[in-house]
Amino acid sequence: MDRLEASLPRVAARRAAAGSLLENRDALGWAMVAPALFLLGAFLAYPFLLGVWLSFTDSRIANPGRFVGLENFRYLVGDGVFRLAVLNTLLYAGVAVVLKFVLGFALALLVDREFRGKRFVRAAMLLPWIVPTSLSALVFYWIYDSQFSVLTWVLRAVGLVDRSVNYLGDPNLARASLIAANVWRGVPFFAIGLLAGLQTVPRELYEAAAMDGAGPWARFRWITWPLLVPVAVVVTVFSTIMTVGDFQLIWIVTKGGPANATHLFGTLAYQRAVQGGFLGEGAAVAVFVLPVLVACVALAYRALRRED
Amino acid sequence: MNRPAARLLTFQLPLAAFLVFLLFPFYWMLVTALKPNRDLYNLTVNPLWTWTPTLDHVRRLLWDTHFLPWMRNTLVISVGATALSLAASLLAAYAIGRLRFRGSGVLGITIFLTYLVPPVILFIPLSRIVSALGLWDRPAALVLTYPTFLVPFCVWLLLGYFRTLPRELEDCARVDGASRFQVMRYVTFPLALPGILSCLIFAFTLSWNEYLYALVFLSSTDQKTVPVGLATELVTGDVFQWGPLMAGALLGSVPVAVAYSFFVEHYVAALTGALKE
Amino acid sequence: MRHRFERVTRRRFLKDTARAASALALSAWGLEAGRKASDAQELTFPVERGASLRVLRWSQFVTTDRPIFEENAARFTQRTGVPVRVEYETWTDVQPKAAAAANVGSGPDIVIGFFDEPHLWADKLVPVTDLAQYLGRKYGGWFDVCPQYGYSPQRNAWIAIPIGAPGVALNYRISWVREAGFDPDPARFPKTTDDFLRLCRALKARGHPTGFALGKAVGDGNTWVHWCLWAFGGRAVAPDNRTITINSPETANALEYARALYETMIPGVAGWLDPHNNRAFLAGEVSLTNNGISIYFAAKNDFPEIARDMNHAFFPVGPVGRPTELHLFSQAYIFNYTRYPNAAKEFLRWIMEDTQYGRWINGMLGYVSHPLKAYTDLAVWRADPKHLPFRDAVARMLPHSYAGRPGPEAARALAEFVIVDMFADACTGRRSVRDAIRAAEDRLRRIYRS
Repeated sequence: MDRLEASLPRVAARRAAAGSLLENRDALGWAMVAPALFLLGAFLAYPFLLGVWLSFTDSRIANPGRFVGLENFRYLVGDGVFRLAVLNTLLYAGVAVVLKFVLGFALALLVDREFRGKRFVRAAMLLPWIVPTSLSALVFYWIYDSQFSVLTWVLRAVGLVDRSVNYLGDPNLARASLIAANVWRGVPFFAIGLLAGLQTVPRELYEAAAMDGAGPWARFRWITWPLLVPVAVVVTVFSTIMTVGDFQLIWIVTKGGPANATHLFGTLAYQRAVQGGFLGEGAAVAVFVLPVLVACVALAYRALRRED
Repeated sequence: MNRPAARLLTFQLPLAAFLVFLLFPFYWMLVTALKPNRDLYNLTVNPLWTWTPTLDHVRRLLWDTHFLPWMRNTLVISVGATALSLAASLLAAYAIGRLRFRGSGVLGITIFLTYLVPPVILFIPLSRIVSALGLWDRPAALVLTYPTFLVPFCVWLLLGYFRTLPRELEDCARVDGASRFQVMRYVTFPLALPGILSCLIFAFTLSWNEYLYALVFLSSTDQKTVPVGLATELVTGDVFQWGPLMAGALLGSVPVAVAYSFFVEHYVAALTGALKE
Repeated sequence: MRHRFERVTRRRFLKDTARAASALALSAWGLEAGRKASDAQELTFPVERGASLRVLRWSQFVTTDRPIFEENAARFTQRTGVPVRVEYETWTDVQPKAAAAANVGSGPDIVIGFFDEPHLWADKLVPVTDLAQYLGRKYGGWFDVCPQYGYSPQRNAWIAIPIGAPGVALNYRISWVREAGFDPDPARFPKTTDDFLRLCRALKARGHPTGFALGKAVGDGNTWVHWCLWAFGGRAVAPDNRTITINSPETANALEYARALYETMIPGVAGWLDPHNNRAFLAGEVSLTNNGISIYFAAKNDFPEIARDMNHAFFPVGPVGRPTELHLFSQAYIFNYTRYPNAAKEFLRWIMEDTQYGRWINGMLGYVSHPLKAYTDLAVWRADPKHLPFRDAVARMLPHSYAGRPGPEAARALAEFVIVDMFADACTGRRSVRDAIRAAEDRLRRIYRS
């Protein structure tokens, strides 16, 4: 495959002579996929298999451990903290992804038109997405401060609350606060993805539909939406994966507290594997995510297939 | 209802609400970066404004930390990882989406599945590989490992885009005698430009923001990236030096934001041009 | 593993020059002669030819730390010709880095980290028994807690050199304590848990609540809840490091006490991480909290009136009748993948000797307390009477693993905040005292099972 890959430019130069190779879909296909496969194989698949192997061992840091079968998984199923983390993850990802989709879509529709300041708005709406999470999480950490919250100050000023709000001390409020921060960061991702999708819809279709007397809703339902579905599915699936695997935001703002109310798979795996040194168990926590995500991807893939 | 009022309700107000929601934290960063320390913990003054702005925090950030080298490192790493990922993804996505070769379906799913693996569990096994390759404490370690979470997304986003593009154009070009590479270069890729730019933005951003790998694989202070470096030098024990931290967060994002504003417009222009012909 | 290593070390020592042999002999002699012959009893490790060192340590708590540390390193280089590269990470990020290094078998030669770290990869470390014993002999002995952290029963050797404890003390506002009818002199500050509770109640009654972190605050949360648990005789695990002993009337007493204390706290402590109490104290929102010297330091810089009106005191002693404090604890260890174990040991010796160590600790302005008894009269502890309670941090502390041993289980119990969560559950009323203890017992059983 390496040889094929190396020969590609030459082939391009002498396309008449080498035409047959270029026209061989299988060879060309694999050659073009090779670089991506190499990167993913060396730096992802291999360490990943190592990780999966770890989840079946009682390995600790600097100690390879021995094979223990499903012991780690059995242990986790009976572990209250882990079960809470499962619930937290489902809640966190479920609510945040839906909110991000709705808000992101609304924003994309809003800016998918000509108006004064469009350039500024489109650039500005990307900001939450581009500032490093480690730093924006710090900002939220501070915005949610129990004493010096600027949010509380504003709510007080407009008379909505009369004392400090305990954003991160109350389990449910802490969950809501983190979801809000995650939504803040993720909305631009949906907005920009869906906006890009909206822009690929040929304007002629709208004009034709308008001439046929279709209203805004009909145009949206029968033209925009069907063309947008593939992008929407991809964006949603990726956001779901990123949200389920979220780590930094939680780790910086609450470290999984109060009383484990905001632990997700990522934070729990990190805590057990790195801080506790129980590599095998930490790996098992992370491996537990896979079935959930695979199911989610399978659904998405089916949806995309149908669109084809 | 008259038109301006309708516009106000359906467009201007919602947009304003969005902007406040999305931009407030940045305003808050800015105010914090300019506030003297005394005002940070003072509950009696309006926190949203400062009457005694100071550039001390910015000065501290620029001269007392390695902020500028960190910016340079982050830029080099992000550009490298993005270029590598985009090149690999473009080829792979075109092959899977358009060539329909044997195994392409399975391959598409496989590449996608790789995105599911959380970095939290990868970093310890991965550190062994990075070390074996002699990449420890080198920017190349990140340029090579970041594609693991960039390529799957880019491939899939591009696949989605290729599907929305009318095949007829390519078929016509083929009928006219264009080779596959000519079709790719002159028909498919220009049409897919919005998708490619989205990938670019995405890949660049994720590289810019990555924390865990950068934390583990880079060691020397002057090799670090902005997200990791700021925390190392500006969180001293249980004291967060909010002023310089926020100044760093702002300065670390503004240049990127400017670049993005260029890309956003560029892709809109590219799009209208490419699709209307 | 162990045997192999000892052999290597011994062979090196035998093979090396007479200087090394005489150094060993001298240090053995020093055992009897005590400190008097300190010039003669010098121990030095013969540095390998062409050696160079990489040191990973926590980034500074105070800006005067780093220049002094690096100057000490530079003087080491001048003296031995061994270049030293120092890398810094935020104190909570040292562990993941060290973990990756331990797992990979390459990375920094020396790590200065926290708590259980050396025991998590005990068999990957260079034994430093000779150095630990030498330092102990020369500087008046280690405080009791040090061998518990530095010595590994599994390796039957010291595997780490205690560097010191970023100590925690009670921080209080002088005027408000006086207002509450108590003597603000730290020497007469409440010495028993009962008096202390009376003070807190009186403060709260005058509108000055206290604040003790109950969120995932690695430093502030852990230190006060462990103090409280131990002060009443509660302990997570028995000395066999296996039997879980948390479910006891003593623990229940500790939790009841904490509940009473919680009544005097400001709302929001359940979500507090390490920085929260600093801010609340500096804004005058709380009158009393537990913290390192960082609040005082920030106050001196930006809030001089608060710096004048605040002071520090020891944690009071509970029914067990002796100090039961917990402080962060930092240790240096050498990975055995290093090609220069002797240079690494020599470096650690160098920074722990009085000329260097004294300057360094003085320069840290009270942030870090010494583990060796002879350093009790360092200038920093005399510079400002308000530093004084931090001086005895190491002397008054128990290991976080108490009554068990540091190791993977204790590391995990600490990382999972089992004790903090138990206190938070009971204080906030999420669980009854009984249920909070049962939940903690359950978690501890699972952690210590293996």
